[in-house]
Amino acid sequence: MTEFDWGGPTVRRMLVGAQLRRLRTELGLTRADAAEAIRASEWKIHRLENGQVGFKRRDLVDLLRLYEVTDPDEVEELLAMAAEANSPGWWQRYGDLLPSWFRAYVDLEAAAALIRTYEGQLIPGLLQTDDYMRALVHGAHLDDSGEEVGRRVRLRMARQMLLTREQPPRLWAVVDEAALRRPVGGREVMRGQLERLVEATKLPNVTLQILPFDAGAHPALGSSFSILRFPDQELPDVVYLEHLTNAVYLDKRLEVERYLEVMELLCDESDPPARTEEFINKVLSEL
Amino acid sequence: MADDWTARINTGVPNPARIYDYLLGGKDNFPADRDVADQVLDIAPVARDVVEDNRAFLRRVVDHLTREAGVRQFIDLGSGLPTQGNVHEIAQAIAPEARVVYVDNDAMVVTHSRALLAGDNTVAIEADLRKPDSVVGHPEVRELIDFEQPIALLLMAILHFIPDQENPLGIVARFRDCLPAGSYLAMSHGTRDIPARPDMSPEAMTEMGARVEKLYQLTTATLTTRSRAQVERFFDGFELLEPGVVEIQRWRPDDRHPRLPGGFFGGVGRKP
Repeated sequence: MTEFDWGGPTVRRMLVGAQLRRLRTELGLTRADAAEAIRASEWKIHRLENGQVGFKRRDLVDLLRLYEVTDPDEVEELLAMAAEANSPGWWQRYGDLLPSWFRAYVDLEAAAALIRTYEGQLIPGLLQTDDYMRALVHGAHLDDSGEEVGRRVRLRMARQMLLTREQPPRLWAVVDEAALRRPVGGREVMRGQLERLVEATKLPNVTLQILPFDAGAHPALGSSFSILRFPDQELPDVVYLEHLTNAVYLDKRLEVERYLEVMELLCDESDPPARTEEFINKVLSEL
Repeated sequence: MADDWTARINTGVPNPARIYDYLLGGKDNFPADRDVADQVLDIAPVARDVVEDNRAFLRRVVDHLTREAGVRQFIDLGSGLPTQGNVHEIAQAIAPEARVVYVDNDAMVVTHSRALLAGDNTVAIEADLRKPDSVVGHPEVRELIDFEQPIALLLMAILHFIPDQENPLGIVARFRDCLPAGSYLAMSHGTRDIPARPDMSPEAMTEMGARVEKLYQLTTATLTTRSRAQVERFFDGFELLEPGVVEIQRWRPDDRHPRLPGGFFGGVGRKP
């Protein structure tokens, strides 16, 4: 289970839940059968299997007995995973500062193997510089004290460490030319940000494609989105849409695939990754 | 504008690369692809095993060519969507300096390959293997590959998408003529011919192959299965390595996942 060391509780629950679902359906048992075994509702089983609620040890023991999982090692491993799934992620220290949807996202992102993202207006969060981020956070929270801005920025920077950790996920980002041209924080901040982007493209696990203005209208104009794919095939791809006041997660296959399709079109229409550095250098020279 | 945005990648039409991805358990596929793949699985439940066997065959072939034959240059024709155990990962684990070109004519495959596979010694190009000169003469190929040094040409599970009227023998011969002595040709190819196996008669396999071929008429490529003798002819001008053209499961098996033979023939030949 080492590959999940960096996974947060949300997706660990997704993982434990998915295993429970598989064990149950392999035996041809219904949710009602499972619910009866732990004196709960079918809805509770549904939520457990989706990773939407924490696990009680006693419930798990009863479910595993029902599912005929008798190998003590296998039982212990599942119980240990569930216990870990209940433990808080690192972001909880910052919980008072973040809208809950961003917390959930950070958690999922940390467990992804592949992060595909399209950004129409901004540099993707995982590639932002401290100063760029600071300018954005300032812009969004004018009343905040300097200290709070600092904490928000530190949180977002901590999130970036996943790109350089051991066994990092792959980031495959498409960024609209507009995001490169908009001088967030002023010219100097933007210069630093663009130089950072060039640096980032040299990481072996980062792919950056630019969608140039001359691509014209495109299917994602006006909306940014991310698609997370997880190392375990049992976990669904998750689409994340961040809006001004909330965020939306999609994990129904047909919905996710609408976004996957748009992402494919955007990647195909964008300049190939090998041209990204040249493109950014051109924008830099015109800054 | 809408036409421009859907011309190159059409998720509404079943696509062999995405069907293959689905059979391998991948998620880069769409309902139309899964619809055909599920019908294939209904007819031939072994299809899932066969595509896995083909990945294992690729791994053994690249391992052998890198480790034993000392090849350091690979051209993977019709490379498909990136998955686990791609050619450069296998070769560069043995010889970090190994160079690999991935070639495909499918826009989505090329986009993914460029994003996920390309690196210092690896490139992905968009080209059509039916036009060998467009591959061999491609500037990025010329930059990475030294045509004075041995090259391994990989044609894995791809030539069965080239019908006879497109002259697959002529295509392979043209590639052969571009390769220096000491180069290799490795291929796997779909077939209806299988040896006797306990779970299926040869007649049942032939029937199954015919039905799968028919299904692929719904996709962007047609499927042409071929016999052992037909597959052997692709190796004209090459000296076949032991054990020759055989069911891929029987080509130097490492017994990691012993499985019943069938589905694909495969072999490796050396250009003298």
